[in-house]
Amino acid sequence: MKVKKIAALLLSCAMMTSLLAGCGNTAGGGAADTGAADTAATADTAADTSADTGSDDAGSGEVTNFTMFITMPGSEINDDNEIAQMIADKWGVKVKETWLTGQTASEATGTLIAGGEYPDFIDSDEMNLLVDADALVPLDDYIDQYPEFRDTWFTPEEWDKFRQPDGHIYWINPFGNTMGETKQTTHNDEAFWIQVRVLEWANYPKIETMDQYFQLLEDYIAANPTMDDGTENMAYTILCEDWRYFCLENAGQFLAGYPNDGSVIVNKETMTIEDYNTSEDTKLYLKKLNEEYQKGFVDPESFTQTYDEYIAKLSTGRVLGMVDQWWDFAYTVNDSFKQSGLDLKGCNYVPLGLTTKPGMENRWHTYDDTVNQASGIAITTDCADPDKAFKFLVDCAMDQELHDLRFWGVQGVDYDVDADGLFYRTDEQRQNWADTSYQAAHRCQYTYFPQWHGTSRDGKNANKPEEQPSEFMNDMAEPLKNCFNAYGYTTYPQFIGSVVETNGPWFPMYSYSNNFTTETPGGVAWAKMGEVKHEWLPKVVMAKDFDKGYAEYMDAYNACKPEDFIAEMQAILDTFK
Amino acid sequence: MDQKKEYRVSRPISDTIFEIFVVVFLVLFVIITLYPVVNTVVLSFNDGIDAVRGGIYLWPRKFSMKNYKTVLAMQNIWTGAKVTVARTVIATLTSLFANALLAFVVSRKKFLFKSQLSLFWVITMYVNGGLIPVFLLYKNLGLTGTFHVYWIPGMISAFNMLVMRTYMEGIPESLEESAQLDGAGYFRVFKDIISPLCKPVYATIALFIAVWQWNSWFDAMIYNRMKTEYTTLQYELMKLLSSVMQQSGSAENAKNGANTITPITIRSAVTVVTMLPIVCLYPFLQRYFVTGLTIGGVKE
Amino acid sequence: MARKKTNEKVRTKITFKDIKKQGFLMVVSFFVVVYGIIFYYWPLTGWIMAFQNYKPKKGLLGSKFVGLDKFKFLFEDEVFIKVIRNTFAMGVINLVTTTIMAVLFAIILNEVRRAWIKKPIQTISYLPHFLSWIVVTSIIHVSLSPTGIVNDLLLRFGVIKQAINFFAFPKYFWPIVAFANCWKETGWNAIIYLAAITAIDPALYEAASIDGADRLQKIRYITFPGIKPTFLILLLMNVGNVLNAGFEVQYLLGNGLVQSVSQTIDIYVLKWGISQNDYSLGTAAGLFKSAVSIAIIVIANKLAKKYSDQRLF
Repeated sequence: MKVKKIAALLLSCAMMTSLLAGCGNTAGGGAADTGAADTAATADTAADTSADTGSDDAGSGEVTNFTMFITMPGSEINDDNEIAQMIADKWGVKVKETWLTGQTASEATGTLIAGGEYPDFIDSDEMNLLVDADALVPLDDYIDQYPEFRDTWFTPEEWDKFRQPDGHIYWINPFGNTMGETKQTTHNDEAFWIQVRVLEWANYPKIETMDQYFQLLEDYIAANPTMDDGTENMAYTILCEDWRYFCLENAGQFLAGYPNDGSVIVNKETMTIEDYNTSEDTKLYLKKLNEEYQKGFVDPESFTQTYDEYIAKLSTGRVLGMVDQWWDFAYTVNDSFKQSGLDLKGCNYVPLGLTTKPGMENRWHTYDDTVNQASGIAITTDCADPDKAFKFLVDCAMDQELHDLRFWGVQGVDYDVDADGLFYRTDEQRQNWADTSYQAAHRCQYTYFPQWHGTSRDGKNANKPEEQPSEFMNDMAEPLKNCFNAYGYTTYPQFIGSVVETNGPWFPMYSYSNNFTTETPGGVAWAKMGEVKHEWLPKVVMAKDFDKGYAEYMDAYNACKPEDFIAEMQAILDTFK
Repeated sequence: MDQKKEYRVSRPISDTIFEIFVVVFLVLFVIITLYPVVNTVVLSFNDGIDAVRGGIYLWPRKFSMKNYKTVLAMQNIWTGAKVTVARTVIATLTSLFANALLAFVVSRKKFLFKSQLSLFWVITMYVNGGLIPVFLLYKNLGLTGTFHVYWIPGMISAFNMLVMRTYMEGIPESLEESAQLDGAGYFRVFKDIISPLCKPVYATIALFIAVWQWNSWFDAMIYNRMKTEYTTLQYELMKLLSSVMQQSGSAENAKNGANTITPITIRSAVTVVTMLPIVCLYPFLQRYFVTGLTIGGVKE
Repeated sequence: MARKKTNEKVRTKITFKDIKKQGFLMVVSFFVVVYGIIFYYWPLTGWIMAFQNYKPKKGLLGSKFVGLDKFKFLFEDEVFIKVIRNTFAMGVINLVTTTIMAVLFAIILNEVRRAWIKKPIQTISYLPHFLSWIVVTSIIHVSLSPTGIVNDLLLRFGVIKQAINFFAFPKYFWPIVAFANCWKETGWNAIIYLAAITAIDPALYEAASIDGADRLQKIRYITFPGIKPTFLILLLMNVGNVLNAGFEVQYLLGNGLVQSVSQTIDIYVLKWGISQNDYSLGTAAGLFKSAVSIAIIVIANKLAKKYSDQRLF
């Protein structure tokens, strides 16, 4: 009897799941059919107009399957992924990517090395370990075989950044390269954020300093203690969870007008390293936060909330402002606003580039490309066909058609072209593109292979859909649009008003400090400083007596020997003199 | 022996108070224990973006089957399910037998090396060579990249063995002695006398082994990463949980949009899919726990 | 009805005849020992990593020998000493609370007569075991936040005047961790005890009823002694694991304000060992844990031999 019951349960489960699985497949299948016909047409025309890129490979038939491991979390795509198949048909390469799961990058890399078996491609946070283990193929000769790629992708100085002590280049960072005119519409970095309804209420004032910012928040709360539905407004919150505590920790460097070197300040004139943790600006920043906290304007849960709770809080629309980086909250929160209609109430955020005193230059936004030399895509010694592997790398960078397939998708299926030749997406296409199952079955971005921002080689469209201006504007809710118009801005970076300048070749310094290990005294100091900051920064903000709290913090901080860390960073900076 | 006395009609007051206490305790316990499970199930049926706002407790706010569609549409999930079922069945049977046999040996009072063998196994519970030495060992034994790495190591586990030993030691010696008088060797005693009496502990240990096997994913990842034909159900599901607990998080990588936090609703759906089969299995084993045991015929 | 308590050491006399019959036992022992050596003892050669500056490239034989340097690093770091204290404290508190709760729950559930109530309750009780810590800790975190349900109830009943942010104060952390463990594992841990209870001869309970015992007395004189062996063995085994107090719970529930009490040995090893590519440090800490565990169980075993009839070896 029991067996019958269980059997019935299992049977119904099986029926249910086959029903659901079936639904997913037919949707994908239908789209692919119509898509294939269109792609064939566009592929031909594209092939005619493209310049020298390896598309003469098309039709040679042999598809090589490569494997790749990336020490970051990500989603695997299906083996029969449609676009992956298209890419394989045209460029002869299919890559099976596996991602980091349930381990740290160090552990994963260490285990790979201990086991002695590597995937064909690898992108790890611990490239040094792999170089030490002689696991990587030197890429210099391959790079020289493709002069156009070599000259377009990096400048000679940038290539040199990747040179290891033995003189060879082993990996290439795939990100942060802009082609042609920058189409940067968002500020994908750190800033003080503020809801547009606050700016609207104050009639779109110019906010330049921390004092003005908090004053505005206080005034708004006094006049509007709750939202329409009665939820209490909250002036300001802070996220301090684990590695995300930069929201609290490094605002000091920006407030002093410096760019995001992450762990230190670089004084360009004297070419010295300065420690922003002990600077006057950081002290003023902490003091201001302390004041606001005592007045009750800073979220008391700031120091204990988890990332999930923080996002939930932002998604309710009640938080007026915070410091954070765009990618950390915007995608999730904006989607939530759209769905719940809060974007129509002016809950979207815009960035402000605050400084300690009015009239200071700020560098919250970096206009030129950031080359992170610490990691990138590499080819391992286990790869059977490094020539073809490297060629595919080059194709990813140099072939516009391949690039569009990866990031825009299939024309007619994932995007359409309007009369002016501009790409655009319908709502349905956008939703599909963001859907997990659709991604697994259809989307193939090869995210850790070379890619571009900026303008496509056709001169009109953006390389990445997020940066397409038409997409950008269309997507905006009324209050956000009004805000842009009131200030006369068309992009987010304009809100910040950073100085447009090129950063030094050492930028960003955090790419070096990220690789510090406890083998050096500087590394030990850096690790200890992190622990101290995690414990003390919240205490300092919450302290009833700020000066006393700050002094105790400084005692604990200095006990870590931060001078060792600064000295090591200085040594690195000196190599650029 | 004893005369059958008349049973009292009214129960002592202490019993009634006790009953009330039992009821209150269990009701509270059930509510507190059930809540996280209900909450997880509810979240798994809720739309992902809507759940971000929080505030969902006992009922989905925006019903959606999408999470389950995503989970069940994963291409390797059915391979994983097959492998997991296979390893669970094989490992449970072999490990149960091996542990039981060892427990039997170690529970025999007259065994010469009883305490030495016990010590040998007890120590294994507290020492561990570390991930890398173990990996190298399996590699040298040819276990990596195969199905056998799932059931051969770990077949004998000191913990399971000791629980069974304790139980077996509670079975009166007289049974063993009378069987041996009848000419039975130790294996017969194990097979025909001890094992039938060990049903509750066998069921318990079988459950522990089965659950452990069912939930395993780490070994699939470390030893069989590139072999999708040996993937397990849990490993496939873990891949979906690329998530919150990122010890090696870094802003730069996250910035490049290659970092996606799995919505809590998908995580919940994954949890439910994992839980369900075990919840179905348990009623099978439960009858071994509930029926009483009569060591018939022998009174000390 | 009375059970004999034997505290005297009864040495079983083993005769030569007995040994002759033990052929089967010897054979099994042999295979089992070989298995154990291969899979449990051989990897211990990896402990040499604790005395080296292990580099994956150089492997176990090629890495530089540094003697006790790694251990020195650990014990000279006052943070590590604190971490040992945290792990120990949480380990002991967890052990005591989860054991009590599991036994309590098993005994109480056993008192339920009707199977149609008993079975569903038992099934429900072990469900939290299958939830991942991520799920459980997020629920606990939300419930204990200033706007969560616990503060809500406390305020409503006037127990406190202002909401308490439980995660901001170190003094609440260890109890919260103990509660989390009990919540998640009580039902599961009780399974063993329930199995042990079913082994108790029902005739004993019947005889007790005839003698006029009430429920509490039956529990005291029949059920408790019945599960005593299981209880003692589990206690012995778990006491050795007191330094394995965990990683996930503390990692997920911890934050900067409570990190002085929340960090366990495993978290420390992650931060200072694995994340710094210092595998040797991790191995050294693991060696330390093993040494302490073995010392603890040797002592515990001696005590058990002296005061009860259960022992591990």
